[in-house]
Amino acid sequence: MSIGSDTIYDDTIENAIKGIEASLEKDYIISKRALSLLLLQEDEDSLEEIKEREKENYLKIISIVEETKNKYERPLTFVISSYRQKYAKTLTDNVMVKTETNKKSFSETLDKIMLNPITGVPIALLVLYFGLYKFVGQFGAGVIVDFLEGNIFEAYINPWINNILNDYVSWEWLRTLIGGDYGIITLGIRYAIAIVLPIVGTFFFVFSIIEDSGYLPRLAMLVDRLFKKIGLNGRAVIPMVLGFGCDTMATMVSRTLETERERIISTLLLALAIPCSAQLGVILSLLSGEPKALLVWLIFIVVVFLFIGYLAAKVLPGEEPLFYMEMPPLRLPKLSNVLVKTYTRMEWYFAEVLPLFILISVFIWFGNIIGIFSVLVNIFRPFVTAIGLPEEVSEIFLFGFFRRDYGAAGLFDLVKGGILSARQLVVASATLTLFVPCVAQFVMMIKERGLKTAIYIAAFVFVFSFFAGYALNWILITTGALV
Amino acid sequence: MKSFNDVETLNNNESIIDEKVLERKEAEKIVLVGTPNVGKSVLFNRLTKSYVTVSNYPGTTVEVSRGKGIIGNKEYEIIDTPGMYSFMCITEEEKVTKRLLFKEKPDAVIHVIDAKNLERMLPLTFQLIESELPVLLVLNIMDEARRLGLKIDVRKLEEKLGIPVISTTAALNEGIDTLKERIDKYVNRV
Repeated sequence: MSIGSDTIYDDTIENAIKGIEASLEKDYIISKRALSLLLLQEDEDSLEEIKEREKENYLKIISIVEETKNKYERPLTFVISSYRQKYAKTLTDNVMVKTETNKKSFSETLDKIMLNPITGVPIALLVLYFGLYKFVGQFGAGVIVDFLEGNIFEAYINPWINNILNDYVSWEWLRTLIGGDYGIITLGIRYAIAIVLPIVGTFFFVFSIIEDSGYLPRLAMLVDRLFKKIGLNGRAVIPMVLGFGCDTMATMVSRTLETERERIISTLLLALAIPCSAQLGVILSLLSGEPKALLVWLIFIVVVFLFIGYLAAKVLPGEEPLFYMEMPPLRLPKLSNVLVKTYTRMEWYFAEVLPLFILISVFIWFGNIIGIFSVLVNIFRPFVTAIGLPEEVSEIFLFGFFRRDYGAAGLFDLVKGGILSARQLVVASATLTLFVPCVAQFVMMIKERGLKTAIYIAAFVFVFSFFAGYALNWILITTGALV
Repeated sequence: MKSFNDVETLNNNESIIDEKVLERKEAEKIVLVGTPNVGKSVLFNRLTKSYVTVSNYPGTTVEVSRGKGIIGNKEYEIIDTPGMYSFMCITEEEKVTKRLLFKEKPDAVIHVIDAKNLERMLPLTFQLIESELPVLLVLNIMDEARRLGLKIDVRKLEEKLGIPVISTTAALNEGIDTLKERIDKYVNRV
């Protein structure tokens, strides 16, 4: 059967199809004709299935495929799809007419500006500056967090909870489980609602607008050449940008990349050098008071990202992937879709985060009681002091393993206490940005890349982050750039 | 041709079989396929009561989503799939879609395409027709095609391909009722 009354392929291929069809004895869900075409193109799944089910006829089929292959210079996949394209063209010409519209649209002009590197790079920087820095960093992590933290939790909820506990609960263990420094409500829920919620919410809002506008694929085209140097291509822009929201989600999305090599490189870079929105928001608001510190942190992370990507591309064998992506039109985002999407993403995130935050509070509480916590902190201590940081930072690194944002949020508390100098703040933020992925991300890494790769990546990240922190501290002291 | 036969036997024996037995049979399946970023997920949201994330970049859907939707007076299982360019798969998500198509015996396959790029997207329609899957073609994003001054003779295309062709703008809820009617008629044809 061909499409309608027309035949698409030439006689050689049609004869090959007939030959293979005749040799297929079993029943298949798709038609024998379609299966024959897949076999001619040496589709792996189909070959495997035939080998298993057709036994004797398998060799006969293979010989027809080989014979047909030899009659063409180009691979059969190419030949077959060009026949299909040719027929698609005939058909389209037959049913579609284009009436000339001479409006040169605004979006076409905008498109050109975005894709031209000279104008495109400044636009990308502006989008990042306003979207990430201004809106997420200053508004989300600054204004909203300050309000929820200072005006709601510290003014009302925490004192209220602690008073109730002091008045009515006589067991010390229950008081510290719920309130105090590491309590479920005073730490776990406060971090989740007052610090993480506004940051993640503002990020997802900006991200939804950017993705609905169709800007992301244009950004992908723009950075394609740079990304090729680090073994990726423009396609990887999506997981990378999404990583600024949630690295766990981004690690999952990295499966859209074409080769295993790209998937491994992007998983590594996400685990190492892409801070998630909660972490980024806290760090941006911490460093925004010190423009120089912010700049040092930014340069450091970009250098690490490119350097490790470059090395990974050298170490991992594989071909450079070709870049091919549908270019959707630029569209004005619909507010309702943006809001619904922000809401569903936050819902997903919260279902994931809140139980973990509570669990971590409980774990820390439990660890405090039996003393494991201080043992672990002691393990971190020499590393932390080696990179020039005060001892108190050790416990933040421990938090950071549970969730990246949790660690960064802890840093927030320390800075308010005024124990860190500008240099120490940069070194701590930078090391913490690189430091091991959070538990959720690690679990996703295992799910997507396998246990072995996930462990290798995590071990590398652990060692590398302290080395890099050490180097950064040394550079800052020697050059006297920050004290 | 298998699924075709199933439907036939079912219809022939309808009077003999107790209706309760029929109800217990698994819901009929409708699968949405197509290249990335043509609006499969928007259409999925229109046909079901559930919500999947929709965006304007290719590859948002990396997993299969399933939802229930009522078309005509029957409940169907509607399946949204990651984008696929061709049966010769390159990426993991494409393979997911292909395996699903080949294993689930869908009662209808809706190939969703971007009307603006009719020519580029037809080859997958050909492959679906060649496979003798019960396919319907949906020309989506018609509003943008019209704005570009493109006119498509849907009747003629239907005749040439020998399958139902429906034009829609899912984002604006245009053509959805017609689509539902055609699906209903197509799945319950004898």
